Amino acid sequence: MAHEILAATHAVVTLDAALPGIVWPWLVTVNMWAKSIGTGVIFMLFLLLRMYPQQVEKLRLPATIAAFVFINIFLLFTLADLHQPFRMWHIFVYSHWNSAIAVGSFMASGFLGLLTLLGYLAFKKNNETFDKVLLWTTILAIPVTLYTASLMAQCTARELWQMPAESAQMILAALLAGSAFMLLLGGNKLSDEAKNTLGVVLGLSALMAFIIYMSEYIFGPMKAEEIAATIGYIKGDGPYAVMFWLGQWMTYILPMLFVVLSRVSKSDAILKLAAILALVGLAIVKHVWLMIPQLLPMS
Amino acid sequence: MQLGFLVDLHLCMGCKGCEIACKVENEVPLSTWRLRVKYVDVGTFPETKRTFTPLRCNHCENAPCERICPVSALHYLENGIVNIDKERCIGCAGCVMACPYGAIYIDPQTQTADKCTYCAHRVASSMMPACVVACPVQANIFGDLEDPTSNISKYIQVHQGGVQVRKPEKGTNPHHYYVGGGNVTLNPLASERVDGHSLFNNITTLPVGGHH
Repeated sequence: MAHEILAATHAVVTLDAALPGIVWPWLVTVNMWAKSIGTGVIFMLFLLLRMYPQQVEKLRLPATIAAFVFINIFLLFTLADLHQPFRMWHIFVYSHWNSAIAVGSFMASGFLGLLTLLGYLAFKKNNETFDKVLLWTTILAIPVTLYTASLMAQCTARELWQMPAESAQMILAALLAGSAFMLLLGGNKLSDEAKNTLGVVLGLSALMAFIIYMSEYIFGPMKAEEIAATIGYIKGDGPYAVMFWLGQWMTYILPMLFVVLSRVSKSDAILKLAAILALVGLAIVKHVWLMIPQLLPMS
Repeated sequence: MQLGFLVDLHLCMGCKGCEIACKVENEVPLSTWRLRVKYVDVGTFPETKRTFTPLRCNHCENAPCERICPVSALHYLENGIVNIDKERCIGCAGCVMACPYGAIYIDPQTQTADKCTYCAHRVASSMMPACVVACPVQANIFGDLEDPTSNISKYIQVHQGGVQVRKPEKGTNPHHYYVGGGNVTLNPLASERVDGHSLFNNITTLPVGGHH
């Protein structure tokens, strides 16, 4: 391992060019966070319409509008992150199909088109067609959620982002964000049963995501020196260590506890608090995981 | 034809002639580098020595930058060079994130990705890359890896046991080789980077392309 060589040689870089700092900034964090909500709301709307069709009747339009807004936020921040945003159209004209960015752009555009159609159908109260289109929208929401994990996996330089773990994290983030957002959006329109279902989705997705993060935190460094060096940024006393644990508590640990507590005490307020914490915390968790691999020198 | 590079680190004396020649030839803007020479000091006083490592794009056969580029701005030329079309680049910085060698940067003037192209424009005119011409000790050896009579092929044959690439575990199959390298020179994790502990300057990081 490199740290053993370092201890023996005391090697220090004494002259080098100024290295670039953070390449993908907070704009990409917002991108991932908004996409999690946008696709997650669709997953939850589909689930609730299957389980409680009568109660969710009035949620078709607001949920579709919410998904539409957050997917547009996701697209807007994707555009803002480009250094040449006015050349965005190149993706559709000079598409490189091996690139997750290109494939994802097409899928996200198609998803936005379906959301627009859903909005129109919900406005016209054409529920039968809405439900048919929602099925295809939900199916498309899966790869739209996952493609960011493919993109991160294509970043050969960033060892921390492994495809299987990131795919699971993306789906779990969408389920967590979607259930949390629907709990807040549904309010009193949802029955206790529906709220319990959303609470279970929120709690379980938080639990599974937390297990994956802890597995990477503990066992990742045992496999590769780059992961050990990257995880080092959240094991020390630095700002990212604070942010990492703040994110874990806000997004996963406290919401899990609050979901259980809300079921025991039958308290909607506690469930809503869990939802708010999860939504805010998710942005912090995503940000830390995006930043720390970028802190490593590559050369 | 498969063009490749080899740097004999036994010969390199860290004069940075290659770095300057590259800057001039390719009009590389201030604060960015297509090629740079990294100094690493090894040992503790008085038993110390300084190593020099020229770093540039590795022109990988399985290039992560080419794979991730959504618009094929990064593409292969027939001679194996990984070239970049700056007019097509959208500046997503995916290539910067994907390159395990830190060889790609966002040009602050054009707001597009840029990197070493092995001086593809000079090669097209049957000239050697600018850094090869500038090197006073011929530490940079450039040529066709598929031609057994080329200088680079002969050099690799002579130094077979000592030929290395950076980060072979990444599976990128670089076409850029080093002779006389070691962990300290080729593995970025095997040396410390201390803020402010640098000759001539104390700059350690810069905002990417000055954009965000």
